[in-house]
Amino acid sequence: MCSTSNTGRWNNRCVTGKMISPMNSVRAKFSSIALAIALVVGASFGPAISRSLAADVSVSARLTRPQINFGEMAELQVTVTGASRADVPQEIPVEGLQIRLTGQSTQVQMINFKVTSSAVYSYIVLPLRTGRFTVPTVPVSADGRQFRTASLPFTVTDPAVGGGASPAVAGLPQQQQQMIPPMPGFSQRQVAPPRPQENGRVAFGEISCPKKTIYAGEMVPVEIRYYFDARYPVQIRGKVDFGSEGILVERFPDPKEGREERDGITYNVLSFRTLLSAVKPGVIDIPAAKIDSEIQMPGGMPAGFDDPVFRQLLGGQSPFVQARQLAVKTAPLHLEVLQLPKEGRPISFAGAVGQFDIDAAVPNPRVAPGDPALLNIKIGGKGNFKAMGAPVLIGTEGWRSYPPSDKFDSTDELSYTGVKSFGYTLIAQEEKHQSPGAEFSYFDPINAKYVTLTMKPLPLEASPGSGGGAAAVTSAPASPTVTQPQPTPPEAVVSPGDPIPGITLHSWWTPAHRPGFTIISLLLLLAAVILGGILYFVDLQARGGTASSRRKRRLAGLLSSLTEGSLDAASAYEAALEYAELVAPPSEKRESLIAGLIQRRDALKYGIGGTVALTVVERSRLLESLRDLSKN
Amino acid sequence: MASASIASLLASPAAPTESVGSAGQTDAEAKNAPKVSAGGEAAAKAAAANASLLSGHPIDALAGYTQLLESPQFARVGSPELWCNRGLAEEKTGDPAAASLSFRRALLLDPGFVPAQQQLAVVLTTLGLPAPSARMSRLFTMLSPEVMILGGAVIGWISLFLLVVLLVRGPRSRGYLVSALLALILGHGASLVGSLIDPRRGAEHQAVVTAKKGPALRSTPADSATGIGNLAPGTVITILSQNGAWWYVSSGSGKAAQQGWILSELATPLLPPSCALPSRG
Repeated sequence: MCSTSNTGRWNNRCVTGKMISPMNSVRAKFSSIALAIALVVGASFGPAISRSLAADVSVSARLTRPQINFGEMAELQVTVTGASRADVPQEIPVEGLQIRLTGQSTQVQMINFKVTSSAVYSYIVLPLRTGRFTVPTVPVSADGRQFRTASLPFTVTDPAVGGGASPAVAGLPQQQQQMIPPMPGFSQRQVAPPRPQENGRVAFGEISCPKKTIYAGEMVPVEIRYYFDARYPVQIRGKVDFGSEGILVERFPDPKEGREERDGITYNVLSFRTLLSAVKPGVIDIPAAKIDSEIQMPGGMPAGFDDPVFRQLLGGQSPFVQARQLAVKTAPLHLEVLQLPKEGRPISFAGAVGQFDIDAAVPNPRVAPGDPALLNIKIGGKGNFKAMGAPVLIGTEGWRSYPPSDKFDSTDELSYTGVKSFGYTLIAQEEKHQSPGAEFSYFDPINAKYVTLTMKPLPLEASPGSGGGAAAVTSAPASPTVTQPQPTPPEAVVSPGDPIPGITLHSWWTPAHRPGFTIISLLLLLAAVILGGILYFVDLQARGGTASSRRKRRLAGLLSSLTEGSLDAASAYEAALEYAELVAPPSEKRESLIAGLIQRRDALKYGIGGTVALTVVERSRLLESLRDLSKN
Repeated sequence: MASASIASLLASPAAPTESVGSAGQTDAEAKNAPKVSAGGEAAAKAAAANASLLSGHPIDALAGYTQLLESPQFARVGSPELWCNRGLAEEKTGDPAAASLSFRRALLLDPGFVPAQQQLAVVLTTLGLPAPSARMSRLFTMLSPEVMILGGAVIGWISLFLLVVLLVRGPRSRGYLVSALLALILGHGASLVGSLIDPRRGAEHQAVVTAKKGPALRSTPADSATGIGNLAPGTVITILSQNGAWWYVSSGSGKAAQQGWILSELATPLLPPSCALPSRG
């Protein structure tokens, strides 16, 4: 069973254009009414459908074959029901098995207006040795919740010892299996003959497969073509139904449209191309690939119109059409599947089947000490890229390597040919001058043998970090933890990839964004200003205040001593002279007064009368002239 | 008491009240580290998640780390260890883009956190992106921006007070004055440089492409718009403006710089949504 999503876009799509007939308008009206009813029903039951979609999520896993022979492959299906989104691992690690995700299909069912969506994730299980295994629980993250499937027992038997035969080929005698031709030929193109459907060759399907004998795991391109008589409009009503137990079919890309003439009839051709691969050996009959369609064919005359004259008027053609549901099928496909030979299987074989070559590059051949180096290995060619394992690194002593990342660049729409790049991250544990080498093995189905490709080491200068090697990383050399909530001290050596013990808390904001930092900065600035002010004031007080106040105080003192008359005449004129210099800015009047004062002072000082007090009249005149000066 | 309250203000305005040093911790250690310890319950949950990761159950570990980091205790502060461990879990579940975001968040909190530096380099190499500058990583390992900002500010302010005293009251010796002025400039200069190189500066406008397939940059905010480039998963982008569910972003610098629109759901802001800036409430 193969269900694809992309073919769904063909629903209700008219391949051959619009019909022109009187019945079309009638049908259009009916279609409008039907659409209106559908909208009303949808509006009424929409919430119920949404609620149904949000129902409980369930996860399950099943192996298509719990027991296989060595050299065969099984399929593991993980089904997630009721989830809108699910994440599953790409690879499930099991010692002795290689389990890789190969594809996904989605099914939506509505029963009694209860909608259930299921996603089926398909894994290929490739045994690397015989024995009893347990496929572990598969962690599934669905709609933000975590689920685990149940573990499954799985047995790989040695076909040479006997027992454990594949159920699908159990009916075949062992000899018959061995007599299957070991190598299929591409020239043996298996084309099923056209199979006319009922009503002549209105529609039919063909399936084309270049090989009828394939190996398990080998990808084979298949083309399915549906022919529809170009005279009749057709609507595709569903998806291509193609597949079988033991067969993996890739999703179909968009079909190609074309026209082709067969037996004098022009057909519209829908061509679907895909890849299929078998997971188990034996004879497999894949049922016919089917697609549902609705073809608008000429119908009979309704009652009242079935008149020869009327028919003749219309040129012998009935203007009325009849919609016919038609399931267009191809012929079944018969395949013989061979198991991969056990003999000569290289150790580095990891499921690649096809024809490949290898190339490698080191993007940065000189890395700084302790820094990771990158080794890119490209596998190009054609084959099963999805199930292909990574090349095996050799000569990895002194390197620490991580599981490689992979990226596939297809050169065709089927992803059959292309280049798969594996990026290895390497960290040197010691002084290194070249990269590790690599081996990649695959099975060549054309030559029926295993091939091992070897990549030689490439020049690469790398050395461990200065901290004594990258193998040991201390938990926090630059971030000492304040407390030790964990029993392991922070100085303990932690291997790369292991969790770091301890919890320290840091702010998501820079100090500049923290209110506390800003407030404290402003307070400190204010404090500096206040401190400066206080210190200045204290200093000022110590120095007797400002010059102005000192000047005022001095003037008052001089005036007071002059008024009191306690000074002798020479000292009084000395004080008056100082007063005159302090009380007024330089001016003609002041200079004239000062000159007079100096003359009188000198006369008193160096003549007579300097030691006696001034007369009342002279003191009054002196004070009057000083007050007069101060007023100006 | 006064110094203790100032220290707590400097450490974080939202520091948990239970954040105290251990009994054996010296005062000097407490002053030097703006970090505080988480409570015992959080430590126990982290230990359980660590155990899950060590025993090979990264999905369980991831659930544990996510629950812990989304708890109210970690709403406004973050733990570089927890984010680094979450990145390891995401790396092991095959989500390197999300892992790169977690490692970047760990480095946002502590740019010198060596395990996160190394794991980020590995993850970016895996994603095909250039690793962060080794020189800056080493610089951050030697000198934390937080220490530069706070230490520089302390030196600067002390120098300012000294300078004030010298100018007003002290011996106006040219040597003293020049020394104080130099210390003032160096202290506040270091604080300024620390602020400029702090990766948290401008982080609120940055995001990391976490879509598993690199989204296309579009010329206009519409699904049908012309693609003008692609962003690889794990790329850091700067959000220039927003229009509904679309972000106008820029990535790269120099000739590799490109600008365009992407759906906001394809990238995750570098800062967790719980830690809004104080100015934004």
